[in-house]
Amino acid sequence: MGILGLSKLIADVAPSAVKENEMKNYFGRKVAVDASMSLYQFLVAVRQEGNMLMTADGETTSHLMGFFYRTIRMVDNGIKPVYVFDGKPPVMKGGELAKRAERREVAQKALEKAEEAGNVEDIDKFSRRLVKVTKQHSEEAKTLLKLMGIPYVEAPCEAEAQCAALAKAGKVYGVATEDMDALTFGTPVLLRHMTFSEARKMPIKEFHLTKVLSEMDLTQEEFIDMCILLGCDYCDSIKGVGPKRAIELIRNHKSICKVLANIDKKKFPAPDDWPYEEARRLFKEPEVQDPSQIELKWTEPDEEGLVTYMCGEKGFSEDRIRNGAKKLAKARNTSTQGRLDSFFKVLPTPGSEANKRKVPEKAQANKKAKRGGGSYKRGK
Amino acid sequence: MFEARLVQGSILKKVLDAIKELLNEASWDCADSGIQLQAMDNAHVSLVSLNLRAEGFDKYRCDRDLIMGMNLKSMSTILKCAANDDIITVKAQDNADTVTFMFESPNQEKVSDYEMKLMNLDQEHLGIPDTDYNCVIKLPSGEFARICRDLSQFGENIVIACTKEGVKFSAAGDIGTANIKLAQTSSVDKEDDAVDIDLQEPVTLTFACQYLNLFTKATALSPRVSLSMSPDVPLVVEYPIGDMGNIRYFLAPKIEEDENN
Repeated sequence: MGILGLSKLIADVAPSAVKENEMKNYFGRKVAVDASMSLYQFLVAVRQEGNMLMTADGETTSHLMGFFYRTIRMVDNGIKPVYVFDGKPPVMKGGELAKRAERREVAQKALEKAEEAGNVEDIDKFSRRLVKVTKQHSEEAKTLLKLMGIPYVEAPCEAEAQCAALAKAGKVYGVATEDMDALTFGTPVLLRHMTFSEARKMPIKEFHLTKVLSEMDLTQEEFIDMCILLGCDYCDSIKGVGPKRAIELIRNHKSICKVLANIDKKKFPAPDDWPYEEARRLFKEPEVQDPSQIELKWTEPDEEGLVTYMCGEKGFSEDRIRNGAKKLAKARNTSTQGRLDSFFKVLPTPGSEANKRKVPEKAQANKKAKRGGGSYKRGK
Repeated sequence: MFEARLVQGSILKKVLDAIKELLNEASWDCADSGIQLQAMDNAHVSLVSLNLRAEGFDKYRCDRDLIMGMNLKSMSTILKCAANDDIITVKAQDNADTVTFMFESPNQEKVSDYEMKLMNLDQEHLGIPDTDYNCVIKLPSGEFARICRDLSQFGENIVIACTKEGVKFSAAGDIGTANIKLAQTSSVDKEDDAVDIDLQEPVTLTFACQYLNLFTKATALSPRVSLSMSPDVPLVVEYPIGDMGNIRYFLAPKIEEDENN
C-alpha cells in the first residue's frame, strides 16, 4: 500500500511539488492508470446499501461498473487512459502479503462477531476490509476495456513500476494511482484522485517528482532510501524512525548504509536480517516490460459488443451502456485543444530570480526614454 | 512606494471585467515604465497579457519594481464600489502585503479607500516570441463579439478562415451550420467600422468558442480589435486601450488528431 506517510511528508516539506487541478484541465493527456489499485478501489467503494453490486446469479459487478463509468468520465474530459494490471507479486512482497492475509483473518473474525451482534455499521466496515481482487475480476475488466477501445498493459510484476516506466519513457504524461510508491519507482508526475467518482468533487492532486527531489534536497537514490525508512511494501523499517527523522537521517548520511553506521542502535534497533538493499534494487530496477515495445492504441468502442457483454451477461441497463458507448465514440472524434506551453517556452523560475534579473534592464531602458518625456512624477 | 492615478477610473474597471472571468488570480508587475500582467488560465490554453504604460496614467510613481499578486475576484468586488466617473488611485508601499484603492468623486466631495491583501503567487511566465503573422484582421470589436456569440450557439468550435476575398467564421453542430463572411471594406466612411485584412498567406484555424467569448469581455475597452493568425501557432486577439497600452489574448488552436494517438 505504498509508502507510509509520504504524501503528508511531501505536503509538509515540499509544498510546491503538489498542485491541485480540475479534471477537465487534463484534456489531451495520456495517463497510465494502476488498474489493480482501481479494481480494489471500485470493489470497496462502488456499493449499494453496503453490498457489492451483483448480477442475478450473485456475480460481483462493482468493478465493471467502476471501470465503465470512471473510464468514461476520464475520456469525457479528454483524457486518454491506459490501464496497467499487476503481474505476479515480487518475492520480497511475501512478508507484506502475509501481513495482509493476517489482517484479513482478523477482519473476518470481526465481521462474524458483528454479524452475530447485528451491528450494521461494523458489518459494512469489515466486509469492505475483506474485499479481495481475484483473477476473474481482472479478466472481466480486461474484456470490458477491450470492448471500450481502451488499451491496457499487463505488467510482468508490479503495476506501479510499469506505470512509472511508461511515464519515464514519455509514453504517458503521468500515472494515476493512490499509491505513493509510484514516485519511488521514478514516476515524474503522479496524479491522485483520478479515478474517484464525480460526486466526491475531489480535485486532482498532482505530485512532481523533480520538485519533490529539489525541495527535499535529495537525489532519487536518497529518496528511495528515505522511502524504505518510511516503510514500504518490501521490507520492515526501523522502529522509532518516523517521517521527520527519516528525512533528517537521509539528509545527513545520504544512504541507509551510513545511517546504520551512525545511528544509536540501542535506541533505534534495525530489524534483524534487513533486506533494504534488495528493496532498493526493486525500486531502482523493477521488473518491467520495455516501454518502447509497448504500443498504445485507443480504438473505436464496440457498442454492440459492450451491450452483449454488459447487458447480456452482467445485467446492466442497455440504455446506460449505449449512452456510455456514444460518449466514448464522441470523445474520439473531437479535435483536441492545444496548450500554450507547447508553443511558448516557460521562462525558468519566474518567481524571484528571473524577474529580478530581467526587470532592472527594462527599467534602465525606460528611464532613458522617460527623461525625454514628462518628468511629472519626480515631484514626490 | 507605488502610486498610480487614473482620472478615467472606468478604464481600470473595464480592464478587470476583461480578465476576471479568465483568471482567478494574477500578478501585477509594476515597474518604472508601467504596469504589466501576464497570466494563463488554469488549463493553460489561453494567456492574457496586459500592458499599461506609465505615460497613460495621470500620475505614476514606482520607486522600486513591485510584483503584486491579487485575487481578481476580490479586486473586482472592490472596483465595483467605484462609480464610473470616479478617479481611481492605486497605492502600495514597497514590500507591502496590502494594496490600497482610493476612489474620488469628480467634485472631490466623496473619497473612499479600500485595502486589499496581496497574495504570493508563483506563476509560470511564458516567453512569447515575436512572430510575423500570415494574416492580421482588424474589425470593429462589437462585430467580433457578436460573431462569437452567435456562432457559439451552433457548436463549441469556431473555424476562422482568412483568404484574400475576406474572412469567414464558421461553426457546425447538432442544429446545423453557420457561416459569417466579412469582406474587406472598400470605402472607408467611418474608420471604426472598417474591416481591414492584411494577408500574406491564407490561413485556416479552429478555436474553442468558450475562450473567444471570454476574450470579447474586453469589447468595452476599445472600438477596434485585431486578430493575428499563422498556421499552427496561437491566435492573438488584441484590444488597444486608448493611448495607454493594450490587452492581448493568446489562444492555442485546436489540433486535429493524428491516427497513432
